[in-house]
Amino acid sequence: MVLVLAIGDLHIPHRAPDLPPKFKSMLVPGKIQHIICTGNLCIKEVHDYLKSLCPSLHITRGEYDEDARYPETKTLTIGQFKLGLCHGHQVVPWGDLDSLAMLQRQLDVDILVSGHTHQFKAYKHEGGVVINPGSATGAYSSITYDVNPSFVLMDIDGLRVVVYVYELIDGEVKVDKIDFKKTATAATH
Amino acid sequence: MRPAAPIEPTLTEYSSVDSSPTRLNPEGSASDNRRFADFRGVRWRIDLGILPDSSSIYDLRRVTADSRRRYAGLRRRLLTDPQNGSNSPGLVMDNPLSQNPDSMWGRFFRNAELERMVDQDLSRLYPEHGSYFQTPGCQSMLRRILLFWCLIHPEYGYRQGMHELLAPLLYILHADVGHLSEVRKLYEDHFIDKFDGVSFHESDLTYNFDFKKFPESVDDGIDSQISPLKVSNLDELDPRIQDIILLSDAYGAEGELGIVLSEKFMEHDAYSMFDGLMSGAGGTVAMAEFFSPSLGGSHTGLPPVIEASSALYHLLSTVDASLYSHLVELGVEPQYFALRWLRVLFGREFSLEDLLVIWDQIFVCDNTKLNKCSDDVGSSVGVLSSARGAFISAIAVSMILHMRSSLLATENATSCLQRLLNFPSNINLKKILVKAKSLQVLALDVNNLTTLLVHPGSFEPSKSVVVRGHSLSLNCISPRTPLSLVPESYWEGKWRDLNKAEELKQSSSDKQVPDRKKDWSEKVRFSLSRTESAPSPSKVDSSKKDPKLCVRRNLLEDLSRQLGLEEGSEKLRCNEDLGPKDPTSMYVEVYGQDCIGKNNSSTVEERCLSGNAGSEESNSIFSDSPSPNDDENQSERSSVATNLSVDENEDESNNVESRRMHVEESPLPVSDSPEDASWKSGLNRDSVGKTTARLDSSEDVSLKSGQNNDIMGKPVAAFKERKLLSGKFQWFWKFGRNSGEGTSERGVSEAIKAPNSGNDQSNTDASLTVNGSNSSSVSSKGDAVDQNVMITLRNLGQSMFENIQVIESTFQQERGQVGSLENFSKNVLVGKGQVTAMSALKELRKISNLLSEM
Repeated sequence: MVLVLAIGDLHIPHRAPDLPPKFKSMLVPGKIQHIICTGNLCIKEVHDYLKSLCPSLHITRGEYDEDARYPETKTLTIGQFKLGLCHGHQVVPWGDLDSLAMLQRQLDVDILVSGHTHQFKAYKHEGGVVINPGSATGAYSSITYDVNPSFVLMDIDGLRVVVYVYELIDGEVKVDKIDFKKTATAATH
Repeated sequence: MRPAAPIEPTLTEYSSVDSSPTRLNPEGSASDNRRFADFRGVRWRIDLGILPDSSSIYDLRRVTADSRRRYAGLRRRLLTDPQNGSNSPGLVMDNPLSQNPDSMWGRFFRNAELERMVDQDLSRLYPEHGSYFQTPGCQSMLRRILLFWCLIHPEYGYRQGMHELLAPLLYILHADVGHLSEVRKLYEDHFIDKFDGVSFHESDLTYNFDFKKFPESVDDGIDSQISPLKVSNLDELDPRIQDIILLSDAYGAEGELGIVLSEKFMEHDAYSMFDGLMSGAGGTVAMAEFFSPSLGGSHTGLPPVIEASSALYHLLSTVDASLYSHLVELGVEPQYFALRWLRVLFGREFSLEDLLVIWDQIFVCDNTKLNKCSDDVGSSVGVLSSARGAFISAIAVSMILHMRSSLLATENATSCLQRLLNFPSNINLKKILVKAKSLQVLALDVNNLTTLLVHPGSFEPSKSVVVRGHSLSLNCISPRTPLSLVPESYWEGKWRDLNKAEELKQSSSDKQVPDRKKDWSEKVRFSLSRTESAPSPSKVDSSKKDPKLCVRRNLLEDLSRQLGLEEGSEKLRCNEDLGPKDPTSMYVEVYGQDCIGKNNSSTVEERCLSGNAGSEESNSIFSDSPSPNDDENQSERSSVATNLSVDENEDESNNVESRRMHVEESPLPVSDSPEDASWKSGLNRDSVGKTTARLDSSEDVSLKSGQNNDIMGKPVAAFKERKLLSGKFQWFWKFGRNSGEGTSERGVSEAIKAPNSGNDQSNTDASLTVNGSNSSSVSSKGDAVDQNVMITLRNLGQSMFENIQVIESTFQQERGQVGSLENFSKNVLVGKGQVTAMSALKELRKISNLLSEM
């Protein structure tokens, strides 16, 4: 079993000073095996912080990232799942499922993680999953000002992935769980 | 060997008694009377209290099923799989990032951490036995069992070493299952249940075996050809195979063996065994306590394992004081090595095969607490107060004794520990076990009688000084020997009050002797190290006469006290019984013999002295209370005394000088000769002291057995012979001064010859004495030249052996004369004494063998 943290759109320090303390206290080293970050961190300090949680850190480039060396997209394989990573500002219309599904096919991944909209979304689509972890700091986006801080933790075990959604609503952490199973056929194509 | 004949009966008698407890060889005939003799795992489970020791198959089935069900439930409960957890509303709590330690995920992460720790050890577990222990199946079983046990017992947690306790358990289950299936395959036809074409004898078929196959069933060719053979085959089979077949059934799961042994349930069974071993199953030896850093239930405020190792040292001090004092002087604390020995039950000192044999012996011992001193809770060492605990410490001590010579040769603590921690692998396991078996009784007594001996290394010298002054002021009376306690008496309470102080004194006096006599203690210690016999304390005091007497007394009394005087004569008898059984247990044997004399002597001394100077209350207490036991003891032992009882009146005084004169006048050259000789050879003070010590005790004994006084008519011829010999002996002593080892060993032979006309035990005693003194003198001479000593000892052993033969032959002759007039009154006593003397002789022979081996 592998725990993968999906996080993004922190916009530190431009739109938010820091992660919410409740999130910070939950994110402790030792539990998480991988971090995938969709981008817009935006400064190196945040990168270092994430690195301190888990050394296996994968980041794609958001439009505000200082570090230009981040790739536009990234794919990685964890267990039996292939994960694709993209910030999402390149995919228009932003947050559109069909466009994202197209990217998912392009990257040939089971799970596509993208951001930019600052809205948590998770779709099951064509035997795969499209996830948007939202903004971990609750930073406003160009679409909406009303953002709840959220991130996603994926528990990948065999052919099964359990998505835990952590959302900070009115100062309380709310946790939701979504279960996805990869079918054998999905594994083949 | 001619004289062997009279010894044989006693030997066989003892060995037959001994055979059942000492089941050294699981394949041996003695083990066959136990069920499941061939299946160590099943035996262990019965011993550990997992399986009932009843023959009912229903009990077996029920208990087995229960324990397995318990484990299965445990596994279901503890094996947290957070993903399969219900879609509970408590997701806020039960999520991977939850900070709540009680959450499923919190438990999961903790388990994972524990598992990692366990895995670290498991990956290094018996790497050379890779065939089994390193297989993934075994590893995962071990990991799960350890994990569950640790989760159930959070107070202990996982400690390194637990896996080494578990591994053999799983291994034997594995071996048993393998063995069973092998037998099944090999003797398949006996397991096959043939209903068709076979008629049964309805009467004796509890299990449906292929007992009879009648010629009618000739239709299937091969089978019928073999079948007539098969009928007889079952009876002709190895009885062990027969057992297995009888305990099995055709279907594998219904016979006793099928119930208790199953590959599917190995993990379950291993867990229950491990749990039983760790928790002790209601007994006192709970291995878990050895891992616990806490105080547990101990009364001493020490962790149990420290307590147990101190008890181990205590036992060692009883058995082999010289080695003990050597270790203490080097500052080798028992826990340095005992921690490792005890925690894994010697798993690291022996190979797996040997370990299984050792564990056989350990588990077969009863683990229930002995309640001998239940009213005196504080006085027994908790962990070792059961037979099993005593045996464990006995094994440890016998391991130490096994390394005795090499340990004594060490100069500093480091090298000593090095040897202790690198136990030789090419050992005679049987020897160690036999010795341990004999030490076990001693250990039990030691444990039951005394409080935990706080390790003497921690004693302040001031205390011992106080004790010293005290005993001196009392004119060499040591006021502290509660010789034989009458447990239900009023004095018990008082004794308990004094107990603490006594313990301090006792242990300090152990220490004080070498401390005090710095100038020669080195020498003596050296000589002690060379003499193999255990009761060396009597030798320690040797060098000076009168001022040292008290020291000697101290030691004697310590010794006799430690030897479990609570049971007085019973104990003695027990020691005696025990001795001849074990061919190699010469320590105990010698001990047993000696403590007869010493026991008596100290009692006697105590009594008469308490009359003299017994102003102290404690003194009178101690001298009064033991009297019933004492008398009994006395009468039993009077054979010891009779020969020496001449000197009844002289012993009131402690003046050795005057006594010596008396002795010379008295018609008893046996006691006379060594003393006299040694007096003349004034140089050899060690040996003098030793001899006098011995004499002293025997004479004191004689004093006590005043009623036996009139019995002591002796054949005149014997006197003459003795006198002659004693004269010779004297001469040899003097001679020995100059010419060294060679002569002194002749001296020994003479000395042994001298008393051999006496037909009771004093014979042996005297020879023992002379022998002891001689060897000490030899070694003290040779302390400058190590090799010389060894050679001498070897020669000594040879000459001893010869002389023992002579004594034995004399014995035989005199057995015929026992009925003669002079000896008539002694007859009964002699009868008893002879048995003892015979065994003593045997021990002497063993000593001589040992010496010549050196």
